[in-house]
Amino acid sequence: MGRGGFFERYLRVDLGRRTAEHVPLDEATRRAVVGGVGLGALLLTRETKPRFDPLGPEAALVLAFGPLVGTPLTTSAKLAFVAKSPLTGRISDGLSSSSFAIAGKRAGVDAIVIVGEAAEPSIVLIDEEGAEVVPCPDLWGRDFQISEASERLGKEYPEHRFAVIGVAGERLVRYAGIANEGRHAGRGGLGAVLGAKRVKAIGVRGSRAVPLADAEATLRIAKDLARRSLGPATEKYRSLGTVANLSTFNRLAALPTRNFQASTFEEARRIEGEVLHETRERGRGSCKNCTIGCEHFYEVRPGQRPVKMEYENLFALGPLCGIGDPEVVLRASSACDELGIDTISSGGTIAFAMECAERGLFPAGPLAEEARDLRFGACERMLALLGDIARRRTALGDLLAEGSRRAAEMLGGDAPSFAPHVKGMEIPGYEPRALQTMALGFAVGTRGADHNRSGAYEADFSGKVNRFEASEESAAHAVAAEDRAAVMDALILCKFLRRAMENFFGEAAEMLRAVTGLPFEAEELERAGGRITLVRRLFNEREGWTPAEDTLPARFFEEKLPGGAAKGAGIDREGFARSIKAYHARRGLDEQGYVPADIAQEMASLLGGRKR
Amino acid sequence: MVTIELYGVARLRAGRAAIEVAACSLGEALAALGVACPALEPLIVAGGRLAPGWLVALNGAQITADPEMALGEGDVVVLVSADAGG
Ligand code: SF4
Repeated sequence: MGRGGFFERYLRVDLGRRTAEHVPLDEATRRAVVGGVGLGALLLTRETKPRFDPLGPEAALVLAFGPLVGTPLTTSAKLAFVAKSPLTGRISDGLSSSSFAIAGKRAGVDAIVIVGEAAEPSIVLIDEEGAEVVPCPDLWGRDFQISEASERLGKEYPEHRFAVIGVAGERLVRYAGIANEGRHAGRGGLGAVLGAKRVKAIGVRGSRAVPLADAEATLRIAKDLARRSLGPATEKYRSLGTVANLSTFNRLAALPTRNFQASTFEEARRIEGEVLHETRERGRGSCKNCTIGCEHFYEVRPGQRPVKMEYENLFALGPLCGIGDPEVVLRASSACDELGIDTISSGGTIAFAMECAERGLFPAGPLAEEARDLRFGACERMLALLGDIARRRTALGDLLAEGSRRAAEMLGGDAPSFAPHVKGMEIPGYEPRALQTMALGFAVGTRGADHNRSGAYEADFSGKVNRFEASEESAAHAVAAEDRAAVMDALILCKFLRRAMENFFGEAAEMLRAVTGLPFEAEELERAGGRITLVRRLFNEREGWTPAEDTLPARFFEEKLPGGAAKGAGIDREGFARSIKAYHARRGLDEQGYVPADIAQEMASLLGGRKR
Repeated sequence: MVTIELYGVARLRAGRAAIEVAACSLGEALAALGVACPALEPLIVAGGRLAPGWLVALNGAQITADPEMALGEGDVVVLVSADAGG
């Protein structure tokens, strides 16, 4: 029996019935999936029926904490938002860090599940007693920026911490995110799931200390981890932040440019991290309870509030759209954060539209008229389009609010060949042809193209594999990277700690033993990583996943990279299919890639008697 | 001569984006780099080897940390952090 880390229950809020109940969570469940994304995936499966509409009242949004949240361990102030994505129709989870995570856990729960639909636009206020649904007519439909809405809520309910959606979430943009204290659960449209429930914000407060089974050991581990978090393994994040990737990726020809038509960008020098650091950096910050502090803020214009920038925002709103003006990229990133849309999907969808416009793929009529001046590098046009998408204003904005896959299907003709997605999720800033183990990680990802749930790029950057070729060895790296990411996201700790930990599963088990008192072991955690991936796969299968989805867009097989250090690189279709088969086999899946019936049967009790 | 290009933290620490050295192997090039830019020792290069978490891409393509790797006239050694996360 454990004595710490968990409150052994979750709160289930039914918006339609206006009820809230605490539901027990047994030890077997906690040990099987740990917490965070694992617990979120499991509760999402348990709380929904097959083939539900992600934007319908029957949809569930899960907020799952991890056993380490609320402890002194660095970077542990995190939670996972988990739901069926309105963008992909598959599972999606977004992690976010802030005092919201700590306050939510201190409400005395390991997770919060929100189902149903509010009768009118509302906020949900959660505390140790339960939940209250409070109408918020003054906040809904007013086109507030996220910072303004958050400020108003903070003034009215000073004891609560809030997760908020922007105008894009209200308008059901399929890649709307959920924001809390400047951090965003961005990917997969979880903000639209909340918007469909007519919930503008979730407020949490709590005063229950998170119990520690062995406080002395936890403190000792926390101190040691904090010390290591300040070592050379995290120097990149502290001194430059993730924007440091841009110049390196450009040199290695791995920087997606102009909707993946190229992998080097001739204007990269203007927006690379080193130059932003020298010319525009105006301060650093960190998530709550983090000793690393990878957030870097850059000046847009003198006198204006500096803007936080990360590599993914920079690549997606910069080179991917052919834009090399640093001020425009910073403004675009800030606009996405304030409107509440995912930067990667925004950049990916607009870049797709730019290519369609240049190729003349918009059918004659209002759409073609609107897209007339849409070109790679069209700075002001891109900025305007972000607002149109978030508000579903204008025909083009409304179309692109659907994401690149749906927009391409609606356009028809050749357009689907140029939509940069896997399972409907726009591809992050790692060119698949130049990083082919990462390409495999993208193809098999349960969330779609995903650099956070698969760290397979690490193999490409290790020298252990040929980065221009996906192989059977790539499959082993892809599985290992997924398992480790799943456990990090279940604990939950920040992935930027990973190189500061020499023996990840061993150290994670030690932390869990100290915090929970449960006898976690390294091997058990490694198995939990695989199990979490299988839970996600089973959810996707239940919602209609087919093996054909584990692939990449045709462009990557049919077009070679045109220049730079990866000139001539392309993905061999047969070779890639073999590496996918190798991945499926290593993951323990059947010939087609389905979870075998005996494993599904074994997991049925965990998933609430789920039937295939 | 061999050109070593520096990116990210290495560029910040060295205060330059590239350096030319005479070297026939990666180990020789890294040793020369450490001498020319002492701020890189020992956390990025140490005695002709790369510190953990650092790699080179030969001419931007083949990624390696092997100090025995032969270099020829005109080769470009791109020094990068293996930590591509973000
Ligand atoms: S390293 Fe960065 S992303 Fe990770 S917890 Fe710290 S500030 Fe947040």
